[in-house]
This record gives sequence, C-alpha cells and structure tokens, in this order.
Amino acid sequence: MRNIVHTLLVLGLSASPLMAKDLTVITAGDQNMVDYINQYLGPLFESRNPGVTVRAVGTGPGDAGSQKVTERFDAQTQAKVEQWDVDVAVVHEKFVGPMVEKGQLEKYRGKIASGSLVTRENAKMALGTKVDGYVMPMFNSQTALAYNPALVANPPKSYEELVAWAKKNPKQFGYNGIKGGASGVSFVMGWIYAFAGDGDKLMNGPYEEAEAEKWKPAFAKLKEFSATATLTPGNAGTLDMLSRGEIAIGPVWVDMFYSWKADGRLPPEMKLVLPSPGMPGQPMHYVVPAKAANKELAEKFVELATSPEVQAKGIVERFNWYPGIDAQHVQAKLDPKVWQKLFTDIGPEDLAKNGKSFPIAPYNKALLEAYERQVGN
Amino acid sequence: MPQHLLGLMLVTPALAIVVLLFLVPLASSISGAFEVAGTVGLGNFAKAFELYGNDMAFTVVIVLSSTVLIGLGSIAISGYLTLGSNPRAVAILRWLYRWPLFVPFIVVGQVLRTFLAKNGLMNSMLIESGLLTASQTMSFLDWRGIIIAFTWKQTPFVTLLLAGAMASLDRSMIESARNLGASRPRILVEIILPQVMPTLMVGLILGVVTMMSVLSVPMMINAQTPTMITASMAFRINAYGDYGVANALGFVSLAMTSTVAWVYLRQTMRDQR
Amino acid sequence: MRSLALDPRWIPRALGLGLLAFVIFGPLTNLLLWAVAERWYFPHALPLKYGFTYWVNVFSPRGNATGALVNSVVIAGLTVVISIGLAVPAGYALARLRLPLRGVILLMLLVPQAFPNLPVYVNIARIFYQFGLNGTVLGVVLVHASHGLVYAVWIATAAFSALDKELEEAARSLGASALRTFVDVTLPLAAPGLLASAVFVFLESLDEFTGTYFVGAPDVSTLPLLLYTAGAGGNYQIASITALILLVPSIAFMLVIERFLRADVLSKVGR
Repeated sequence: MRNIVHTLLVLGLSASPLMAKDLTVITAGDQNMVDYINQYLGPLFESRNPGVTVRAVGTGPGDAGSQKVTERFDAQTQAKVEQWDVDVAVVHEKFVGPMVEKGQLEKYRGKIASGSLVTRENAKMALGTKVDGYVMPMFNSQTALAYNPALVANPPKSYEELVAWAKKNPKQFGYNGIKGGASGVSFVMGWIYAFAGDGDKLMNGPYEEAEAEKWKPAFAKLKEFSATATLTPGNAGTLDMLSRGEIAIGPVWVDMFYSWKADGRLPPEMKLVLPSPGMPGQPMHYVVPAKAANKELAEKFVELATSPEVQAKGIVERFNWYPGIDAQHVQAKLDPKVWQKLFTDIGPEDLAKNGKSFPIAPYNKALLEAYERQVGN
Repeated sequence: MPQHLLGLMLVTPALAIVVLLFLVPLASSISGAFEVAGTVGLGNFAKAFELYGNDMAFTVVIVLSSTVLIGLGSIAISGYLTLGSNPRAVAILRWLYRWPLFVPFIVVGQVLRTFLAKNGLMNSMLIESGLLTASQTMSFLDWRGIIIAFTWKQTPFVTLLLAGAMASLDRSMIESARNLGASRPRILVEIILPQVMPTLMVGLILGVVTMMSVLSVPMMINAQTPTMITASMAFRINAYGDYGVANALGFVSLAMTSTVAWVYLRQTMRDQR
Repeated sequence: MRSLALDPRWIPRALGLGLLAFVIFGPLTNLLLWAVAERWYFPHALPLKYGFTYWVNVFSPRGNATGALVNSVVIAGLTVVISIGLAVPAGYALARLRLPLRGVILLMLLVPQAFPNLPVYVNIARIFYQFGLNGTVLGVVLVHASHGLVYAVWIATAAFSALDKELEEAARSLGASALRTFVDVTLPLAAPGLLASAVFVFLESLDEFTGTYFVGAPDVSTLPLLLYTAGAGGNYQIASITALILLVPSIAFMLVIERFLRADVLSKVGR
C-alpha cells in the first residue's frame, strides 16, 4: 500500500503545473478548433516566442463545450484560486456576457495592436451584454441551409419558399430541433424572425415579457412544419444525414460545413443558401481570464491570432471561415481568388442583409422554452 | 471485536471515497434542486415534470426494455457457454460476444448512428446481399436505436459476469440432470438460473444505473422528442444555465434507480434471514 | 472426429453464430472503415478513398496520442488497484458480516453512477482546486475510483455472497486463522467475480472524459478526452482511430486477467 501511495504522489507531483512557460489554450468547438491551434497557431506562436509551449485542450462542440469552460471558471472563482490554469479561452458569444458580469475576464483589447481592427457591433455587445474590450473575435460563423444540388435544383431563397418546398417534398428537409445543437436553434430563431415580426427588437432589446404572445402562431406553424420535416440527431447529425442523402436540405454551421467537405465526409457538390429574412450567426471569442497565470503571453497570443496575416492565412485561407477582425484588413493580405472563395455560395450582399445575430439572452431563453412547450411537447 | 464493528471498519475506506468525492459535492446539487429564487420550494420539480414528464416516462420504458433484452441475451449466451456441447462452437462464441465491451459509449453512439441510418452500412449490406431492396430500408435512429445501442453495449457486460458465475457452479448437479435426460434449456432455467440469480440481478442493476447516466447515446442517436432524462438535463444546463431544473431532473433519475436498487436489496435481505 | 460438413447440428449453430457475428461486427466494420476512410459520402456504400492521413494527424507530436495513451493506461491501472483494494474488504464485510444499514451502504455506493453527474463536476472541481488536486493524476484517479467502486463493491459483494460457507468453515475447523482462510480459501473462490469487476473498472476509467476534463485537464490529458471532441463533433475518422487505439489496452488487460484467472482457478480451487 505504501508503494502505491508513493507512486501516486510522484505521479501527482510530476504532473503538477510547474513548468511556467506553458501557455494553456482551452477551446470550445469542433475538433478543427483544436487542430487549428495544434497544427497552425501553436507552432507559429512558439517559433516567435522561443521557450514557450502552447497546449490546446478541446472541451467539445456547441454550447456544451462553452458551458464546460464557464464551469471551469466558476469552480476556480468559488475556490478562490489565485492563478488560473487557463491562459486563453475560446468560447461562443452567448457565454461571454455572464463571464464579464462575474468579473472573470481581463479587459485586454485596448492593450493589443489588433484591438483597433475590430469595429463590428458583435465585438461590443454579446446578446445584450456589454463586453466591449473583453473579447476579440476569432472568427464569425453563420448558419445557412446546406443542400444537395442533385436533389434540390432550385433552392428556396426564403423561409416562405422553404415551407412550400417542404410541403412538396415531405421528410426531405431535416433539422435538429433545439436540444441537439445551435444549428437547429438558429433555424428556429430565423423562423421567428420570418413569421413573428419584430426581429430587431429580439436582437437588440429591450426585453418585454409580453412579446411572447406574438410568437404563438409562428410556433404553431412550426409545429405543423416539423411534422413534415425529418428530425436529425444534432448539428453533426444534420450533416451526417445530408452526406448519406437521407435529407436533401438542412440548416448547418458554415464553418462545420466546410470542414466536413474538406475531410471528405460531404459530397463536394453540396452548396449553401442563406434564406431571407435571414438566419443568425455568431462569433467565437478569444477571452483572457483576469487571473490567468501568463497574462502577458496570453495577450501576445491573441494579438498574433487576430493579426491580419493570421486571420488571412489561418482563418480564411485554411478553413474558409469568415474573419473575426474587420474584412478590409484581411482582404488586403489575400489573393482575390482566395477571398472570393468565402462568397462562393453566399454573396457579400446576401451575407450583409441576411446574416442576423441571435436574440438577446432573455429573449433567447424565452424563445427556447416557448419552443419546448409549443413545438417539442 | 464485535462483528459489525469489524465490518464497518472494512467498509469505511470505500465508503469514505464515495462520500467525500461524490456525495458531499452532490449535496449542494441536491439542495439546489429544491431552491427557487433563494427560497426552498418545489418550483424546479414542477417545471421538470411539466416540460420533461414525457422524457421521464420515455426513459423508464427505454431502460426497462433494454434491461429485459440484455437479461435474455446474456442468459442465452452464458447458458450456451456453460452447456454447449461442441467445444469449437463454444470457443467461437466466447471469442465473439465480448467485443462491444471495449467500445466506449461515445463511439457506440457514432458507429450505430452511421450503421443504423436509412442509408447506413447495415442497410447497404442487406441490399448488397439481396435481403432487402432499396425501397424497404428504414432508419432506426429513434427510440429503437437507443435500445439497440444499450443492448449491444451492455449485454456482454452482464454476460461476462453471468458466465463467470455459471462457470463456478458445481457441475455434478448439471451432469446428473443431463444423465436423467433433462434438456439443456430446462437445465438452464430450472437448475442453473436460480443459483446465479443474484449475480444476474447485480449485473442488470449496474446496467440500469449505467444506462441512466449515459449522455452520448441519446444525444447522438435519438433525434426525436421525447428523449432520455440525461439529454434534457444537459440541455437545461447548456441552453439556459439552469442548474435548478437540471438538478431536479437528476434527482428524479436518482430516485428511479434507487427504487430499483432498493427493491432488489430488500429482496436479498429478506432471503438472508 | 466427425467432419464438420457432415454434422447437421452445425446448421443452426452456424446460423446463430453468423447472426451474432453480424450484429457485433457490423457496427465495428463501420469503425474500421472510418478509421481508414479519406472520402465517404452518399451514394457510395463504401469509402471512395482510403488512406492514413488521419493516423498521421493523430500520431503527430502535437496530436499527443501516445502520451495521452500512456496517461490513460496508468490512470486506469491505478484506478483498478485502488477500487479493487477497497472493494475486497468492503464486499466481504457486506456479504458476510452482519452489518447495520447494509442496504443503505450499498445504495450510497451506487449513487455516483445513478445521479447523472454533469452538474456535480463543478462542485468536485471546486473542492479539488481548494486541495490542489486539480491537474494531478491522483485527482483523476480518485474521481475515476469513486465511479469504479460502484462496480467493484457490488460485484465483489455478489461474488462473496455466492460462495459456499462450508468450505471456509472446514478450513477454520482444521485450525486455519481467519486471515489465512480468507486468503487461501475465500479469495481464490471469489476470484472470477473480482477479476471481472477489475475489467469493468478498467474499462470505465478508459471511457471517462467529463471528470477527467474538470479535474485533470490541461495538465493531465487522456485519450478519451481527445476522443470526446472528435466524437461529439462528428469527426468520424479521428474518433474511430482513437477508439481503435483504446482497444489495445482494453483487450490486453482482458487477456492478462484471463490468463491470471485460469491459472488461479485451476491451481487453487482444484476443480
């Protein structure tokens, strides 16, 4: 028994965080986020900062991934840890507001060179909470309808057209409800923007509880629509069924769509369309905990990650993601052909007009719960 | 030393680990379930039953049917392993049945999602072999998929335990029954099964407990509502940051498993007296 | 020796075994195919292109699969040692000694599996941060052990209760001490059950990722942790490869246990 205790102690100690020059980056999102840091950003940062090792930890895709980052922060806050074990975190938009409110984050944007390259509204407000200065967007993502041109010759350009199309082609439209990830949630929010009026109020506030009454007919219509649709298991589940031809069209995250294509899990002919009046998108944000052990290094890391070069080569060219910092800075660093690839299916005007944001947090919750009551049950 | 004192001493270390590392942290979750806006109340439970009542019923049905299938499957396999007359067939079966045991749940979700789908590998194999035509295929990615996944993964678990228990039985009674001309199914049901019943029950209860807490299988296989309690719990936390209702759901799930376990424990304790 | 082809009883046997093989290996074929598939989509029933680029990714120095594998095995091994070490006395006491509140104790041990532990990990992580256990192998092992004990204690209790008391009583009446009787008679008889529970504890530890993330990451990285992101996000190739790598220690452990078991049962029990 003594031997075991001894071994445990040795192992326990040797694995403790003693090596000061480890920069720990914890990221929500898909495998490709971990790969991006491990294969591209990490080595690049290490080559410019000798002696530093970048460690990436993935917490899993979707809200669940960001929730795990939140919980880790909460645990360290409650335990009153002085030096946190996370230097940089990448989380979804929805989760930065509460983190800022709990005082867990460093206000660092003003301190880094690339900080002034972001002017977009979603770097200042996150679902109704002021986060200006605390976040740098890694990339902007968008949901859209992915479809197989072999099965859908004329893709629906609006929610109205989609409803008509789905009626003619039962079970050929698929979405993942709201429990299986944000692409389904996004489809539902877009539905409300389309059929229940005041999208601007939902996206910008102010919050009024009475608003919920207006959604009822739209949800009733969605319930009817869902009966002719196929329900898919999760964000990946929608892509999965698209890839096997079990559904012809469905809402997906644009970034996931491109990774699935790149990994050979989707037919290369697949295309995207962004129906009017629009579907939500959101940025993934870099945040630095106020008590990060290597705060300066962390800021340097985000500075590199959001520099025009890295945004051009890493985010746009490598992954086909929409850049986090303002477009003109990134466009200047790229071959026009590469830049155009971003807009192969969805043109810049469509994106500007139909790329919406999610409703502010209280509406978001109210809408999800209304869906659970009126459509899900 | 009085016997029960010695007994407590022997149990304490194991109990201490579970109490300190799980029950203490759990306590604040449980109390959170009964807390509504700072005061004690049942609001979380009311909401949990209102929104997720169907999920609770669904969970019970899924877990019970899976358990029945797992029980039957493991009795059949371990029975053949014990009574099979052909050593080669027994050896093949022994080699065969265990594989799913080694596949983590999250991968079970993945492989079955791509296997059971309408255009998945299973249907393609059946079409290639001429057993089905393309128009006859259907998807199993609903409640059936969850039951299939649980049965697939958990049957070897129970079988391993059960076959072990059967192997350590006294063979002489089985041999004499065979000599009297009893059929093998009859020996299995009337002689072997009663003796290994405690092991079977323990295996099945551990199976129930595992199924109740697995998240990846319902998340990756079941597309429809209702879904399993764990999936709703995760949704409550991830979408709303609402630990109150999530913990209330956890409490309901705990109550369900405890009831099953308690019924069993009562039974065995009565038998011992 | 009769020839196989002539024995008609092989027809139902072959049918049954064939069906079972399809049920078990069908899904596993999927796993194998995805591990080497580079391109696979509708309407192709089989992958369009095979290759090993994803293997190169997983095993690249930064992918860190090798280190994570070693960590996973060490953690699973230690978890088995702790769980079984604690379960043997506990199981014996629960099965054989008249214990007050026996049912309650068994029920308490069941809770870590019975309460879906998502909301509990935040609390565990908070406590572990306070004690400096976060980011240590010991912390991860303890969390895994609290789950493994469910299997270990319940199975050990069943194994000890199933034993025939007469053998022990015979040994005692021949003058063997209580401890001696336990080690020489009781333990070998209960060995099959105990070793089976060791297999489950090992597999449970190799399967666990949520606890490892909260208590171990970023300092302790295990293979299931890598697997989770890939698996949940639908990165079939990476997930399949990781799962295949995980098969190696699982099966190796099983074989070791089995060899041990056979020798043990044969030599000591003498049946």
